[in-house]
Amino acid sequence: MKRILALVLMVALIASLGVTAAFAADDGFVDGKFTETRHITVEVFNRNNDGGTDPTNNVWTDFIKQQMLDKYNVEVEFVSVGRWTEADDIGNLLADKKAADVSYTYNYNTVISYANMIDENGNPGVIDLAPYLEEYKDYIPDLLKLLGGEDNLYYDKDPATGAVWMIEGVRADTARITTFIRKDWLDKLELPLPTTEEEFHNALVAFRDNAELLLGADADKMIPYTTSTDIGWRNDLLSVSYVADDISDETLFVYGYDDRHLLYPGYKEGIRTLNKWYNEGLVWKDFGLYNDSTVEDDNMKAGYVGAFMHNWDYPFRNGDDCINLNLQRNVGEDAMFVAIDCFQNDAGVTRKFMGAAVGSDRKIFLPSTNDEPVASLLYINFISSEDTIKYLQTGLENTNYILHDDGAYEILPATGEWVKNSGNNIDYTMTCNGLYLGEATGATTALSYPGIPAEVVITANEFGKNNGRYPLHYNVGTIESETEVGSSLTSKRDELLTKAVTASVEEFDSVFDSYMDDYLNAGGQDIIDERIQKLADVYGIIYNK
Amino acid sequence: MRSAHATELSSSSRINRHMGFSWKTYLKRYWTLYLLLLLPVAFFIIFRYTPMTYILLAFKKNNILLPPWKVEWVKNNGFDWFIKAFKDRGFQTSLRNTIFLNLLDLIIGMPMPILMAILLNELAFPKYKRITQTVLYLPHFLSWVIISSITLRLFATNDGIINKLLGTQIPFVGTEGNWRATYIFLGIWKECGWNTIIYLAALTAISPELYEAAEVDGAGRWRKIWHVTLPGIRPTIVVLLIMNLGHILGSEFDRPFTLSNKLVEGASKTISIFVYERGVMGQQYALSTAVGLFQSVVCVIFLLLSNSLAKKFGERGIW
Repeated sequence: MKRILALVLMVALIASLGVTAAFAADDGFVDGKFTETRHITVEVFNRNNDGGTDPTNNVWTDFIKQQMLDKYNVEVEFVSVGRWTEADDIGNLLADKKAADVSYTYNYNTVISYANMIDENGNPGVIDLAPYLEEYKDYIPDLLKLLGGEDNLYYDKDPATGAVWMIEGVRADTARITTFIRKDWLDKLELPLPTTEEEFHNALVAFRDNAELLLGADADKMIPYTTSTDIGWRNDLLSVSYVADDISDETLFVYGYDDRHLLYPGYKEGIRTLNKWYNEGLVWKDFGLYNDSTVEDDNMKAGYVGAFMHNWDYPFRNGDDCINLNLQRNVGEDAMFVAIDCFQNDAGVTRKFMGAAVGSDRKIFLPSTNDEPVASLLYINFISSEDTIKYLQTGLENTNYILHDDGAYEILPATGEWVKNSGNNIDYTMTCNGLYLGEATGATTALSYPGIPAEVVITANEFGKNNGRYPLHYNVGTIESETEVGSSLTSKRDELLTKAVTASVEEFDSVFDSYMDDYLNAGGQDIIDERIQKLADVYGIIYNK
Repeated sequence: MRSAHATELSSSSRINRHMGFSWKTYLKRYWTLYLLLLLPVAFFIIFRYTPMTYILLAFKKNNILLPPWKVEWVKNNGFDWFIKAFKDRGFQTSLRNTIFLNLLDLIIGMPMPILMAILLNELAFPKYKRITQTVLYLPHFLSWVIISSITLRLFATNDGIINKLLGTQIPFVGTEGNWRATYIFLGIWKECGWNTIIYLAALTAISPELYEAAEVDGAGRWRKIWHVTLPGIRPTIVVLLIMNLGHILGSEFDRPFTLSNKLVEGASKTISIFVYERGVMGQQYALSTAVGLFQSVVCVIFLLLSNSLAKKFGERGIW
């Protein structure tokens, strides 16, 4: 009996070994498709929007799942991460070993922090993609096409070690910030659309002085120019118009840590101008007290605001609840914000410092808990393909859009299951932010904001990148001092600018300088020094101020 | 309760001395009580002490993918993060702000519930007293997020209702000094009523005979409060004072974070916000653990000091 049992066990053991061996011989990846169904998890932002759908399970994810199964035999499961608590959520998931196999974040340092940690197998917390990109180069043609070549695929390749911790997403539309002004007010006061800073200032003064005429009983609510505590963003075009036009690429790099351009030489003078305006009663008095945009948005929608600077589509976004349509309902048919481009620099050019198409958007990374790096890479390729992006951005003809004769897609208002939780479904198209429809993009953009005249949209978009200068990419690897400061310098910058703008004109210099000292002491100077050092180490460029 | 416990102790020591103490008989008699105690002890070990092993992170390299005992030590005998923190301007400011705001809370905020409790105690109509009490408790249940947005509507410099009514432009939350005052005021508004509960309980324990005796001696209302009520609740006050001193470096997150704005960050950044910005937002878990550990150690020192001081002045202390 015992012998028989032993024999049976033996046979079973050998059989199981044979099965395993068979598995090992075939790595399961034949002709770009897995023979056995693989399973990966993919991150998606959860924005908790009103009337939105479950971001991990809706018609759009159904499409992605089906396609991935058909194309690669890969099963996809979505893991949601709070859009507004991104950093904490990803940290928790990583520490808990539950991070999505394909994760993305806007924050470069998040990826680097985890790449610097070592897990129990002695591996970095993030997978080094370099060997996979090399071996499976032929299977990622769509990703390469979207990125515009191998250079951008290896954008973050560490110059010293050759490691690639992340793949950069693309910003399909680089338009950033545009200045908006109430056209109907200008008409009422018989003023032209401002084309210079002086004309802009005159318009604000006119708004202030004619509050009775423009707002009647609500005259005391007049806000000629509104801003938020994110002055770096909300006043950027004015601020950088004081930066010399011949500033060198190296200078832009050395002083380029802050994405709001705070450290650019000359920036302070732009803030001085805003400070002057503030003290002339042209800027929203209470802007410094609010941490979010609800009150400010309400002011715009109610028609109390004359001008502001913001994302190029700010007055048009959110469909029927957008600022311009609210204005029309609350104030009158002709009430609307239109784009202007009036802040010229020393060369007379309305220069804007842009985020590059690659390098300033989301970063895609694979945490070390990922057991399916190849399937994940295939997913990144799939989500970057033109067809996938087109479907996710437009949907089905006649259900989600009407195709115009000029090739433009007129997106129909989405209801029920077809609602997109994020604009253009960017939370799914992780490698692509912005409309990506080839030649139809421009015409489609113009039609993307129902109720807003196409020319108003097109102008705002053009002004958002008009005379844009794109920073040169110096790939110097990780800048250690930048990973140490967390969000503290961002918060310090906002404090500095808010304090400086609201100071009295006489105190402006002392306030700005003392807070700038503080900013530099809190890590800003270390970052500048390290950037200069890296420039010398990697590129051999000796930087002199 | 306490005296019963004392009797128990003295009786067991008596057994010990005169009859020959035997653990066996003792445990045979009381084993159920010890069994019952096991549950809370287990709770503390599992949920309070075991997680504390992660304090080690304060002396190790920044890595949360491994248990901290497997991570490498940092420089300076493991104290590198502490040295970094103390050199950091952001930490210095937040340390100063935390101490300052907590001291203000202690000096201004602590006497308020005592006054309130005495006031309530003096009320003659029980029904009115009960309603007042309930009304006073309610703000405790509001979150700081809600309170902060109400605060802005009320206290904004130009658009706030109060300034509109007064026709003024007082920056209640717009300058650092005023913001501190508003911060303290809101803290009192929210928690004062709730904190009276413990004093009211202490007040009921005062024997009515003492009041009667005082009355016989011709004491008026003030005299009675001064000589009977206050001494009656003095042990409670001391215990709460000790516990508050133990929190001198502790810091809430919601309150300063939600009430703050960019104009007053110089006054509102506390240690908890520093930890949030560096640790949570910047993935500097080791640094923020070090800061947290420092906070706890100082708090424990304060607790011990104030306790022994209280004992020196003849109070009972908290243990």
